[in-house]
Amino acid sequence: MSVLGEMFENFLSRPITILYPKEKVPIPAAFRGRVAIADDKCIGCSKCSLVCPAQVITMIDGPRDVEFKGKNLARKKRPQVKLFKCIRCGLCERHCPTGAIVLKNELSCSGTDGEIVLTE
Amino acid sequence: MPEVVVSIGPHHPALKEPVNFKIIADGEKIVRLELDLSYNHRGVEKAAEQRDFIRVLPLLERVCGICSHSHSTAFAQGIEEIMQIEIPPRARYIRTIIAELERMHSHLLWLGVAAHLIGFNTLFMWTWRDREAVQDTVEEMSGNRVHYNMNEIGGVRCDLTPAQVNAALARLPNLEERVNKYVDMVNYEETMLLRFRGVGRLSKEEALRYGTVGPTARASGIDYDTRKDDPYLAYADAPWNVVTDTNGDVYGRTRVRVWEIQESLRIVRYCLENLPEGAIRVPAPKNAPKGEILSRYEAPRGELAHFIRTNGTDRVERVDIRTPTLANWTSVAMCLVNQNLADIPVIVAAIDPCLSCTSRITLVENQTKKAGVISFDELIRRYRSRNPEEV
Repeated sequence: MSVLGEMFENFLSRPITILYPKEKVPIPAAFRGRVAIADDKCIGCSKCSLVCPAQVITMIDGPRDVEFKGKNLARKKRPQVKLFKCIRCGLCERHCPTGAIVLKNELSCSGTDGEIVLTE
Repeated sequence: MPEVVVSIGPHHPALKEPVNFKIIADGEKIVRLELDLSYNHRGVEKAAEQRDFIRVLPLLERVCGICSHSHSTAFAQGIEEIMQIEIPPRARYIRTIIAELERMHSHLLWLGVAAHLIGFNTLFMWTWRDREAVQDTVEEMSGNRVHYNMNEIGGVRCDLTPAQVNAALARLPNLEERVNKYVDMVNYEETMLLRFRGVGRLSKEEALRYGTVGPTARASGIDYDTRKDDPYLAYADAPWNVVTDTNGDVYGRTRVRVWEIQESLRIVRYCLENLPEGAIRVPAPKNAPKGEILSRYEAPRGELAHFIRTNGTDRVERVDIRTPTLANWTSVAMCLVNQNLADIPVIVAAIDPCLSCTSRITLVENQTKKAGVISFDELIRRYRSRNPEEV
């Protein structure tokens, strides 16, 4: 009888399904979504490309003078991410010493180009 | 009546994963079952040997989509023991919270699948709706619904904020109420009793002989749970009981699973309320010393074992993953004998099979192209004849 009782309750209540394009699903702040790189913070240490399990981060030329822990350094390289091969594990964010590379809580990252890269 | 061979799979619309069943039936009754596995070998173990300890954990999570945290925790705690580092209490508690939330969502998913297989789609919809609350909690904590990636060698990747803890605690009363309802439903609902009771029975002796683990073993009355018998993480601190049942059939396995969700809720509540303060990780060395370890972990489906051998470098020399499904498979062939053809889906699903995790290689003779099963001793003999220095 417990099933029947709940079925009648559900007949009178609204559907639980979220009609996606019309209603947006709230995305938690900690969600690991699209990678974003803040180039002004990046010191070009290559840590992100070393820890990346999917090996989607390559270091390209990007010479610039940067400051890290009070020292002035000459950066030689900066990261480039192949977004479509990214598995959003968050290891680059965890190991970045300056917080330059972060995973934003952006869900949609659709496209038709399999080689979409992110340099900035 | 002559015996009929019904062959299903490896590719079939009714199957979710590739497996080949050869059912030898006499009319409506099953005489024998022949299983053919390993259609989806992915070479995860070999790939794990080529990655360092930082990059291997996300790979091992992808052994299974449901028990992803189980694999990475089993591996991480094995490596931590080889490195002789102890993780902080807060990291132990966070790992436990994620592990138990994973168990809850796995069991709720299984209950839905089992209900779907007996045509009780109402329950399927309800359990999967309630599973969303668990998934949302994990997503808020870790950033992903499936691959949490919370572990790293020496602790956890990210901390839990007070807001995340409170949001999780706020969801628990509703979940507890729902799970209590499912316990009632499993015990008294006629639809489930008719289809589950007496189906696929496995006695305690048979369960021991076939080496079953997890809820399958506990449903046959074997009081064995790695969390209690060899406590790890925070299981020794939290108040909870090992759930067993004496029925041994699909009904017993369903009861064990819903009761286990109740126990998981108790553990999660305890860990969230008593979350210790402090660091979430300790620095781990880059290289692990030479050593061997068998890391055991109670995954939602049963005991999971990672055999790890390190050689002093920053990666493993060998990792061998024994998934719970591999231990439970042989009992399925036993359960199916003398059952009705229509009960095959639910009996197979009762062990909660995860086939892609279980796929292993088959040795094929080069000349004769003959494939088959070889004994463990034969395997050792062949291994030693190839590597004589490692005897």
